[in-house]
Amino acid sequence: MSGRAPRIAGTDHLNQVGFIATVSGGQTLCQPQMILPDDAQRVQMLIGTYGPPAPSLAVSFQDAGGRVLTSGRLAAGARQGEVAVPIGYPHGATAVGTLCVRVGGAGRVALAGDIFPPGPSSEQIAGRPQAGRIAVTYLRPGSESWWRLLPTLSRRFGLGKASFFGDWTLPVVALILVGLWVAVARLLVRELT
Amino acid sequence: MSIAACVRRIFAGVRRIPPAGRVCFLVAFVNVAIWTVVIPPFQVPDEISHFGYAQYLAETGKPPPQGPGAQYSPQEQTALNALDFVSVVGHVKQRGIFNSIEDRALRQTLATNPSPVGEGGVSSVTNQPPLYYALEAIPYWLSPSHEILFRLELMRLLSALMAACTVLCIYLFLRELLPGSPWTWTVGALVVAFQPTFDFISAGVQGDNLLFLASAATFLMLTRAYRLGLDTRRGVAIGLVTVAGVLGKLTFVSLVPGIALALLLLGWRARTRERGQALRGIGVAAAIVVLPVVAYAALNATVWHRGGPTGGGFAAAGTVALATGHAVNFKETLDYIWQLYLPRLPFMHREFSYYPLTETWFDGTIGHFGWVDYTFPTWIYTFARWLFIALALLACSTLVRMRERIRPWLGLMVCFAVMAMGLFAAIGYAGIRYRESTGAIFEQARYLFPLLSLYALGIVIAARGAGRRWAPALGAGLVALAMIHGLFAETLTISRYYG
Repeated sequence: MSGRAPRIAGTDHLNQVGFIATVSGGQTLCQPQMILPDDAQRVQMLIGTYGPPAPSLAVSFQDAGGRVLTSGRLAAGARQGEVAVPIGYPHGATAVGTLCVRVGGAGRVALAGDIFPPGPSSEQIAGRPQAGRIAVTYLRPGSESWWRLLPTLSRRFGLGKASFFGDWTLPVVALILVGLWVAVARLLVRELT
Repeated sequence: MSIAACVRRIFAGVRRIPPAGRVCFLVAFVNVAIWTVVIPPFQVPDEISHFGYAQYLAETGKPPPQGPGAQYSPQEQTALNALDFVSVVGHVKQRGIFNSIEDRALRQTLATNPSPVGEGGVSSVTNQPPLYYALEAIPYWLSPSHEILFRLELMRLLSALMAACTVLCIYLFLRELLPGSPWTWTVGALVVAFQPTFDFISAGVQGDNLLFLASAATFLMLTRAYRLGLDTRRGVAIGLVTVAGVLGKLTFVSLVPGIALALLLLGWRARTRERGQALRGIGVAAAIVVLPVVAYAALNATVWHRGGPTGGGFAAAGTVALATGHAVNFKETLDYIWQLYLPRLPFMHREFSYYPLTETWFDGTIGHFGWVDYTFPTWIYTFARWLFIALALLACSTLVRMRERIRPWLGLMVCFAVMAMGLFAAIGYAGIRYRESTGAIFEQARYLFPLLSLYALGIVIAARGAGRRWAPALGAGLVALAMIHGLFAETLTISRYYG
């Protein structure tokens, strides 16, 4: 619980099935229908560079009206693998929009993701729809312990379940669990002494 | 007998349970109920299929026809899509609904009211008998909301109730076996109540839950009949729990030879003047099992048209000629079953590249969670192995020390051993065929949980190995360890899905 580590702010629910986009230097890949979590401070992707160090990567996130909500840049020189591009933070509430990744320099970068039918919802390179969507993980600022993450956990815990659950659920569950432990301790003392 | 009289008898029965047993029942229920909230919808192994079966039965009044149609109702399929189920299962870096926008989208999708009536297409569980799913139809119908996630939560609570009943049966089983050591009843029941793999499965809509309950109840009823003698009433009880198991999950059939042997033993050891009573008990038990099973088979074949009397249940497990053209023979099956639990002997063909006894059964019992996609850190399993070895040594010392007191129970223990071997063999028999036809591993630790009563017995026997003075303290320590184990599993699960 006290161990500190980078924590996830969200994902785009896509798995890294393979490298599904190759972006040349100077090109931009844009992916619509993305959700930028309010607590995202880095955008993590799996990249391949065909050997040499990665060129610079610039990330931006635009809302439906084309307004840039946040952006960031990773300098050239990163090794291929998982890279985290820092973005401007804070950037406001959780928003729906388009994520764009611009590759600098002259090299090529392959991005991992999953197969997706080309169309308005798929990734687009230089404006052309491609047969895939890249997998993105948003990370929260810095490194955090689980204790520090508790309010966020509490909020997430109430989501995606029966509608009567909410932010209150995790604290209540924790209290019930404490009560259960006390009941068991009393039972053991009564039965075993 | 009127309903009021029935209710009075039930309450009188509950009052006869020692208070500690009732507390163990409540503790188990609340603990598993917590797990039902901790685990996101459909993240218990195979819960999507079990829910699909129960929903089909609740909506249509009959088990799935197992045709080529869709496995899930449009409502369930919509919910699975909106929950990003496919991307989360098996991918530990993925999370489900994580923010308010995704949650709102989920609610809006569910509010489009897709049909809850599916086509009952074939799935991994549709060949199972319908009793568990018929019981799950009750909370489905009683749910004040038609929202699928609301109904799922209520159905999970019924599974939690079954888990609590399983724990109570184990408490009473230990009371029958060790009447002079009340502390062992509590320790054994609580160690199971906080066993996290048991809790994880029990927290879902999962047919195994009735299997666990029926098995624990069978161990209890057989032990009670062994201690007090078999009569008509106990024959009825044995018949009821056996038929509940057989019509709950086909795995239970593997216990039936051991149960039949136990009934024969009970008849044989009855004194001459009580033999007639015992034989009546055997007859009643057999009739209670056979008649509903025959009725189920007839319904399968004639009314529900489920592809034969067993609904295809044994055909799926017993495939001999596989799609690859390879036919699994008897020797291969025996080799596989042996190596599933014991070290390979020199003349055997190597069936596994790993050691199932530790990796599948032991580590899996300590905890392989989700759809077997996240685990504890390695040191936990190492620690648990050493602890288990110490407990096994303690248990052996107890058995040697108490051999004279155990001797009268040997007959029953042989029957339990036959039940266990039946289960081991059934798992291996299905396992090699599954592996040959799919290339995937079949076995999971939970398949041994019909033997939870023996697990609890082993724990308390080990605790007694500490000697009269220290045994209760060791028992309390083992319960505390189980609680810490459970808490660790819960925090691990929270970090997996919400962290």
